[in-house]
Amino acid sequence: MTLSILYFGMIAEGVGQSFETWQMPEPLTAGQLKAQLLEKYPVLRDRKFQLAVNHQLADEALPIPPQAEIALLPPFAGG
Amino acid sequence: MSSKTPKKVFVEGPISPAFISDSIAKHQSKTNIGAHAIFLGQIRADQKEEGVVTGIDYSAYPEMAEGVFHQIREAAFEKFELSCMHIYHSLGLVPVGEISLFVFVSSPHRRPTFEALEYIVEEIKAKVPIFGKELLGDSGAFAWKENS
Repeated sequence: MTLSILYFGMIAEGVGQSFETWQMPEPLTAGQLKAQLLEKYPVLRDRKFQLAVNHQLADEALPIPPQAEIALLPPFAGG
Repeated sequence: MSSKTPKKVFVEGPISPAFISDSIAKHQSKTNIGAHAIFLGQIRADQKEEGVVTGIDYSAYPEMAEGVFHQIREAAFEKFELSCMHIYHSLGLVPVGEISLFVFVSSPHRRPTFEALEYIVEEIKAKVPIFGKELLGDSGAFAWKENS
């Protein structure tokens, strides 16, 4: 399956891009994806972020649907 | 006014006093309204280690933010006796002293406007994926804002 991964704010700054696609050989949960992201981008270990899957905040047990849009969201600052 | 109508929330740059006054004027024909309450978020010149905040550069995850704004609107109409509600938030650079958030609620009576306004502003701060880069001094330094 192909995942679109979006990075925002200080997370985009940390990983040096705002968008990429990942080919995943087999299904995984949000928690498993988060672990892979931390492995690829160690800078994320020191930064707070939440994972959204298809525009909804996801807990770690959530199975990621095929073709999902994943977003790494740093702390919100609206207002 | 239907609460189902999708609303455009984001505006580029600061929200001008003229825009706010136009918005107030548009309600003169809605004669069932007896009370309005307005919240304006203004950029504050906080002193940070690297310098004084001169502005905030806002960005967002618009596709998700629009959905969250919609949920907040629906919940507010559900909880409070409101005639109408308008929410505007800036994207891009908003200099210090200018307005980045404009929330405008109207009701036949005052009490629901006070309660709804606080509810809506707190929900926006906690739940909408908006990000803010605080620009510091004139050296190009910046810090990422985080709502508490």
